Amino acid sequence: MEYVNPEGLRLDGRRPMEMRQIRAEIGAVAKADGSAVFEMGNTKVIAAVYGPREVQNRSQQISDKALVRCEYSMANFSTGDRMRKPKGDRRSTEISLVIRQTMEACIMTHLMPRSQIDIFVQVLQADGGTRSACINAATLALADAGIPLRDLVTSCSAGYLNSTPLLDLNYVEDSAGGPDVTVGFLPKLDKVTLLQMDSKLSIDLFENVMQLAIEGCKAVANYIREILLENTKQLEYRRGL
Amino acid sequence: MGGLSLGEKNFIQGGIAQDLRSDGRKRLTYRPVSVETGVIPQANGSARVRMGATDVISSVKAELGKPSSLQPDKGKVSIYVDCSPTAAPMFEGRGGDELSTDLSVALQCCLLGGKSGAGAGIDLSSLIVVEGKMCWGLYIDCLVISSDGNLLDALGAAIKAALSNTGIPRVLVAAGASGDEQPEVDISDEEFLQFDTSDIPVIVTLTKVGRHYIVDATSEEESQMSSAVSISVNRKGHICGLTKRGGAGLDPSIILDMISVAKHVSEQLINKLDSEIAAAEAGEDDS
Repeated sequence: MEYVNPEGLRLDGRRPMEMRQIRAEIGAVAKADGSAVFEMGNTKVIAAVYGPREVQNRSQQISDKALVRCEYSMANFSTGDRMRKPKGDRRSTEISLVIRQTMEACIMTHLMPRSQIDIFVQVLQADGGTRSACINAATLALADAGIPLRDLVTSCSAGYLNSTPLLDLNYVEDSAGGPDVTVGFLPKLDKVTLLQMDSKLSIDLFENVMQLAIEGCKAVANYIREILLENTKQLEYRRGL
Repeated sequence: MGGLSLGEKNFIQGGIAQDLRSDGRKRLTYRPVSVETGVIPQANGSARVRMGATDVISSVKAELGKPSSLQPDKGKVSIYVDCSPTAAPMFEGRGGDELSTDLSVALQCCLLGGKSGAGAGIDLSSLIVVEGKMCWGLYIDCLVISSDGNLLDALGAAIKAALSNTGIPRVLVAAGASGDEQPEVDISDEEFLQFDTSDIPVIVTLTKVGRHYIVDATSEEESQMSSAVSISVNRKGHICGLTKRGGAGLDPSIILDMISVAKHVSEQLINKLDSEIAAAEAGEDDS
């Protein structure tokens, strides 16, 4: 199947190095300490952060750091075929773990000992790149909750089909069986914090694809910074400053 | 959100007694309702309803299946509610299961009638394709994103809006199917039949706090309730279902009074919802 036609356009009309349209909104869940909605093309994800608060399970309390917990769940209607079991399946458990580890690395947990931070991510629509969208949404939600972070974590995926590196794969491109590299990136510190790949890719091509994903992450980071700046201006305005 | 102090509890109860609630509403006033339809493009119909901070999404998917042998002339509808952990940390893992099941069952009872399918708010016979062999099954999935009380009303409204937005593809049945064979069908991608939702009831929950009842309680007010009665009323003023929650006992005369109050309130709610749904559908058509 042709994923990149001879004119260089992908199935949804994008160029190979073009990301899908991103849109974010802060404060979607009024009751949470911090929340955000993040859309990458047709993938739509809500993240809510509760914390820092008292640890619910005393035995898990850590005396010198905050405990970070994360749960990833997909809505029944998020995929094309109706899903039977929205949470608890292996893929959800794995992604919950990945998101937790990624966010834990950038939260300054030593500033909040004996407390707990819960990150809940809910996928409303899945069209490829849910992992990345979840990490981006979680970053925004953590920032909205005022939790001290070392840096923003942004994430983007890239692949390689029809001999072309492609940025930000959607579901069809992802299921094509080609490699899918997901990168989590700290833009200010310029460090990679998450790196996952499936399928196989030669080493020299891998570097290209990873760099492409990192460029995608930087673009997302710029957008996130704009959104946060806009949000802060709104807060200042409401406070009458 | 922690517990409420004694002062806060008195404030809430006193306010309700004086017909002036914490957010300025009267006892029988709903929060502003906002409806968006078509939020889930890959579903046959969907809607998102916001009542204050309560936010729920409902989606309807239609799949072809075989009708049950006990009711060969009726289609199937199943309602499933999921409480997302984004709404409250206690819904994490299996924590939300109890509330989800409670809500699913209450909605089924209000919208689908009894076991025999009689008295359903949704006309199941309109879902039949070939009697006895093929029918549409509607899978209604709801997701609670944010919870600030009055989930049942919001879910009822979301289901009504999602069904208004639902388009069932037209099916052409190949002639000459005989006996036990599954008939061949051609599902059209172009033509859709809009579902008739004029008979679908809305749910009005009356929460009793002290000696008075309020409509559309926030979660703070719900924490002070002694009992709550959810009544499902349709456009004609008929009661389609009733559920009582909460441990306190109620005098039967009070229940009858609550039912008449609910009927009165439901007229305004039905009108409000109809206009919101029409506006949402019009907005969706324009965009």
